[in-house]
Amino acid sequence: MEAPDEALMLAYRGGDAGAFETLYARHRSRLYRFVLRSVKSRATGEELFQEIWMRVIEARARYTPQARFTTWLYTIAHNHLVDHWRKRGLTLVALEGDEIAGNSPDPADHAAARQALSRFAAALEVLPALQREAFLLHEESGLSIKEIAAATGSNEEAAKSRLRYAMAKLKAAVDDG
Amino acid sequence: MADERDPKVSRRYGELGAEEPPRALDQSILAAARRAVDQPHAPLVAPAGRHRWYFPLAAAAILVLAVAVTVQVERQQPDPEAVQTAPPAAPAAPMPVQEAAPKPPPKPVARPKAESPRVFAPDPVPRAKVEERVPAPPPAAVLERRESAGAAADAAASRAAAPSAPAAAKPAAAPMRSAPAQAARMAETPERELERIAELRRQERHAEADKALAEFRKRYPDYRISDAMLEKIGKK
Repeated sequence: MEAPDEALMLAYRGGDAGAFETLYARHRSRLYRFVLRSVKSRATGEELFQEIWMRVIEARARYTPQARFTTWLYTIAHNHLVDHWRKRGLTLVALEGDEIAGNSPDPADHAAARQALSRFAAALEVLPALQREAFLLHEESGLSIKEIAAATGSNEEAAKSRLRYAMAKLKAAVDDG
Repeated sequence: MADERDPKVSRRYGELGAEEPPRALDQSILAAARRAVDQPHAPLVAPAGRHRWYFPLAAAAILVLAVAVTVQVERQQPDPEAVQTAPPAAPAAPMPVQEAAPKPPPKPVARPKAESPRVFAPDPVPRAKVEERVPAPPPAAVLERRESAGAAADAAASRAAAPSAPAAAKPAAAPMRSAPAQAARMAETPERELERIAELRRQERHAEADKALAEFRKRYPDYRISDAMLEKIGKK
């Protein structure tokens, strides 16, 4: 049975670097995408991603498992992103053409798929920052409404409302395609 | 958990791609994590280049400064009036020196020092702080201190200050601050610190507010700032 995140973080706090490696491997991809889709450029996303992990490392001595490790991690990420948004504003990383793969071999279908995806990306991009964050925390990071509220310092009603608005707009973008 | 997911939205979101962090980034973070547990008190970013000499240089500079000040005080010309009245008895008995202090104003400042001349107890208040509060002593008071508590106390104070200097310099990987100011800031609660940042914003001291906020985030990375407070501390 795999060790829970909280136990790994405590082990890392106690000096076990291997525990951190396991923890990092578990969360790196989701956190990376969460950050990347919340900022303007890939370079900025990578910088913020690294800084968030540095904060985790620096804060290890103060870590106590009061909630899920994931909530704690995304609270740190949220705080860091808020600082970033405050300074620079928020947009999405532009979609890179060759990353969007259509399933159909037909060029016309492929173009339509690309268009639909671009529309979705644009809808995600124009979401208000807090709605987008709620969506990414839920969809990408698997946080519950309660955990989103905890990580973003808001109440459950606000978190739920943000997520619902985001979902409605994104669903409209999907349905348009 | 209440799942608000919509299968269509989830699928489309999944099509955006599954980016992964670059390998170099992984390695850099993992190396930092290992360094942190290998050297618990070392900074995450090891000083490189000219910064490598920063801590020893700062410690040496403080030491030299402390010695220089001590020597300077030693060599200072004594007040002739005080020399006439005080010199022979001064080292053994502080009382005549007290009588020699001609005017009442310096008395309250000088008395506590003269009353405990031979018993050295480390001052709980950092020296710099005392100097901030008490104006520069008049020459008679300087002489009195030299002759009563004297060079021994100064030297002891310098010795006491010297070993703490590198320790005080260590956290200064961040911007330089005086130790008392930092200690005072550490004693603040997060709420009070945020109020202070909000106050800086109100006064439109944005650079200071940004700096204070960055420090706050460093110290409390997982502190949840309420929306109302965020409004106050955010740049308008």
